[in-house]
Amino acid sequence: MNAAPAQHSNLYLLAPELGLGSASASAEAIADESGREDLVLRKLGPRAWRRLYQFRHLYEAGWGGGTGRMLSPRALEVLYRFIEQPAFAPLLEPSLFLTDEGHLELCWDDKTRGAVQIEFTPAGAEYYFERTAEEGFILTAEVAELVRRLASS
Amino acid sequence: MMRIASSENVVRAICSDKWDGQRLSPSLFKGLNTSVSRLAIIPLAEHWELFRGYVERPPARRLEMIGEINVGQLEEIGRAHQPAVELTVEPDPLEWNRAHAVIPQRINRGLANSIVKRLQLHSGNEPRAERKGRG
Repeated sequence: MNAAPAQHSNLYLLAPELGLGSASASAEAIADESGREDLVLRKLGPRAWRRLYQFRHLYEAGWGGGTGRMLSPRALEVLYRFIEQPAFAPLLEPSLFLTDEGHLELCWDDKTRGAVQIEFTPAGAEYYFERTAEEGFILTAEVAELVRRLASS
Repeated sequence: MMRIASSENVVRAICSDKWDGQRLSPSLFKGLNTSVSRLAIIPLAEHWELFRGYVERPPARRLEMIGEINVGQLEEIGRAHQPAVELTVEPDPLEWNRAHAVIPQRINRGLANSIVKRLQLHSGNEPRAERKGRG
């Protein structure tokens, strides 16, 4: 005699059983990514937005005559954290560069500090203010404090 | 290590990762063992072809300009910096570039800014057109 078919407690399978949790996470990631692209466009302008796209997608390991490193995802996270601060509002369109180490470098002109340069690394940000020749490094957790400092004068 | 004479001029390729049409990245000269190339061994006009062949990686990385500086001027910039840095340029010939040389000292951001400002910039369309670098 054949065994009775297995009884399912639910008529429909729930999303986790179907493995849809990951699809939902992907949708969130896409929405997040889209929000970040908007953020870059709004805060840094179209030139930096276009350059960031190129740095992310077209610069493979070894790009600088064999020594250039790919853009560090952690350095990119630090850049996002920096520019998402409401107080970050450069007067002129900043310039965005990729360093040989795979870091991002943001440069703009500030009325009181002259040239301001911030290099985003996987661990935090290195800053330089031209007029006072001040150089320093802050950890990722201190990024908001650096933005407040820049906005305070 | 042998030093290159102060009278010589050296060049560095400036690609699109370090030039956005508005500003020049100071990281062009920041760090250790910065690569340069000697005009006494290969003339400027030939450097365009050399850099296009070995440094450019289209479509992303394009050779935009060549930055030139006199070695004596570079040494002076290092001495004037606070704290002073004794900058030297040392020959380091490579298979693809016999004129290759390096600045072995660690260059910090402030010093790199001073160097970038003193660069004489040559653009591809106007090989002898000169502009001063902007940090």
